Amino acid sequence: MFASLAREARFLAKDRGALFWLILAFFLSCAAVSFGIAEVREQRETIAALIEEDAADRANALETQEDWGGAAYYAFHLTYAPPSDFAFAAMGQRDSSPWKHRVRMLALEGQIHEADTRNADFGLVGRFDFAFLAASVAPLLLILLLYDLRASERTARRHDLLVATAGSPFSMWLPRALVRVTALALLLLIPLWIGAAVEGTSMVISVTASGIMIGALLLWWLIVELVSRIDASASVLLTSLIGLWLALAIVMPAVSKAGIEAANPVPDGGEILLLQRETVNDAWDLPKAATMKPFVAEHPELADHAEIEEGFEWKWYYAFQQVGDQTAAPLVSEYRAARIARDRQAGLAALLSPTSLVERAFERLADTDALSMIGYEDRVRRYHAKLRAFYYPLMFLEQPYDADVLKKLPDYDANG
Amino acid sequence: MTSPLEAKSLSLVREGNAVLDGVSFTVARGEIFALLGGNGAGKSSTLLTFLGFLKPSGGEVLVNGQSVTGDVAAARGAIAYLPEAASLYGHMTAYENLDYFLDLAGKPAGRADLDAALDRVALPAEARTRRLRSYSKGMRQKTAIALALLRETPILLLDEPTSGLDPVAIDEFHDLVKALAGGGQTVLMVTHDVYGACQVADRVGLLRGGKLVGSFSAANGERIDTETVHAAFAERQAA
Repeated sequence: MFASLAREARFLAKDRGALFWLILAFFLSCAAVSFGIAEVREQRETIAALIEEDAADRANALETQEDWGGAAYYAFHLTYAPPSDFAFAAMGQRDSSPWKHRVRMLALEGQIHEADTRNADFGLVGRFDFAFLAASVAPLLLILLLYDLRASERTARRHDLLVATAGSPFSMWLPRALVRVTALALLLLIPLWIGAAVEGTSMVISVTASGIMIGALLLWWLIVELVSRIDASASVLLTSLIGLWLALAIVMPAVSKAGIEAANPVPDGGEILLLQRETVNDAWDLPKAATMKPFVAEHPELADHAEIEEGFEWKWYYAFQQVGDQTAAPLVSEYRAARIARDRQAGLAALLSPTSLVERAFERLADTDALSMIGYEDRVRRYHAKLRAFYYPLMFLEQPYDADVLKKLPDYDANG
Repeated sequence: MTSPLEAKSLSLVREGNAVLDGVSFTVARGEIFALLGGNGAGKSSTLLTFLGFLKPSGGEVLVNGQSVTGDVAAARGAIAYLPEAASLYGHMTAYENLDYFLDLAGKPAGRADLDAALDRVALPAEARTRRLRSYSKGMRQKTAIALALLRETPILLLDEPTSGLDPVAIDEFHDLVKALAGGGQTVLMVTHDVYGACQVADRVGLLRGGKLVGSFSAANGERIDTETVHAAFAERQAA
């Protein structure tokens, strides 16, 4: 077998047409990995710069404050989801979902969703990253490398001579195809491995990603192999295979997406923002008890301190901010559940489309899938809850303002 | 004694049409058997059944006494096949083509062996490092013949082997085939070239409409009479 592979490798080295596609694959892979690393570095630099600015801005804002309410109002807190060490290969939902916020003690849901004015995007063909290359472009390159292995030899009236000389078709076509598939896989994966080394990606993830891509290539090889057994001209085979690719890579995901969206209507992020802001704005005109009652229901430990006497009190202000969140909570919950349901169903539908399956697998490895972004939103909510837990006792129990206490403000934990 | 090549009541039906109908013949070791016939007579199909590319609908074909259907690889391993207007790889040189095909056959050869074979087919030395796409049809055919020689198989199947060769090259080729047969190789060639077949063959069979309708044999090493065969060929074709 080794001799056969060496023979076909030498043959491949003389086949300019095949070499063109292989070199193109290598450059596309280099480009995808480079773009991914550049994007990830830019995101990390953005986060690093924001972390620095965030601390300075907050210090400046707190310097001039004289009460807890003012401190909470003017102090912003940075939250972010840092890109994973494999995100360079699959930007996934980071392109459509926000991965950084500057939150305040105000109503939270509006702050989370003000950057999300459309439904969660389960984009099927996204930016040109390695996941897209592996899922959608690599099969096309494989088709171009393999579709006419037999047909071109038939056209050149060489097929029978080749097979008769080889003795069996197995010893002829298998090594020829295997060399091409191996060359394609290596030329696609080498830039990924270099990128992974640069980014410090774990070996497990690198190996898993390589396995996924190789598995996808093997699947497409099987498809090409089955189709090219048809005794038809090279152009008919190519047309059939491209049609099949279109069906599996474009049509099937698009149809699935439309079906899933119709089956799981998701409220617009803007609706959450609107509902929460209307609640907050309406609160100014409502009797204070209308705000404090639902607030106390959530914070019974503050019931004895929830009476509002003056025209304006910070604790009343923050209470109606929270009530805004409470009012939007069912919609937020529906939004979250529908996104998870869509994601779960998209996962099942992906079983019908190798391209979607590969993209989803890469996004899972890179922590850039829908669940990862929902996880980030949940981290923001947990952090915001810590802020409320920090300020509420100070405000509601009317502790004297002490700037030093603010040094104990909870820190955002990007991994928490 | 087992014949290297034998067709027993060979029938072949393709897409409802009888391509071969009860064809029987044997080719002895060192014999050159030429099957003559017009277009669609079933000549090439007969060769392809010996190579296992076409499966007989009836009867059987045997290579060295073994059914081709039973062990295609063994049959192919014993045969060097020269298809009509053999198309080797145009983007490779003669040496590269021979290297590739000999590797494919599991019988790699050194440069000296390649040169010896190319000398036998009279391919100019300066042409051997040029890509085949710059060759004339005759030069490409010579390279393919060199490949058949280098395979050193006991059996040669030749499909219109002199197609595209100039008269001098045809004579050289006939001499070469006779020399190979003299060395013990068994040759089955199919052609519509009556003159060529009579020049080289020990025995000629006439194939028409998938049936073997006549045969001529050279007795005592004499050549088959071209006029007789041609007349019979024309008569059978007209029948």
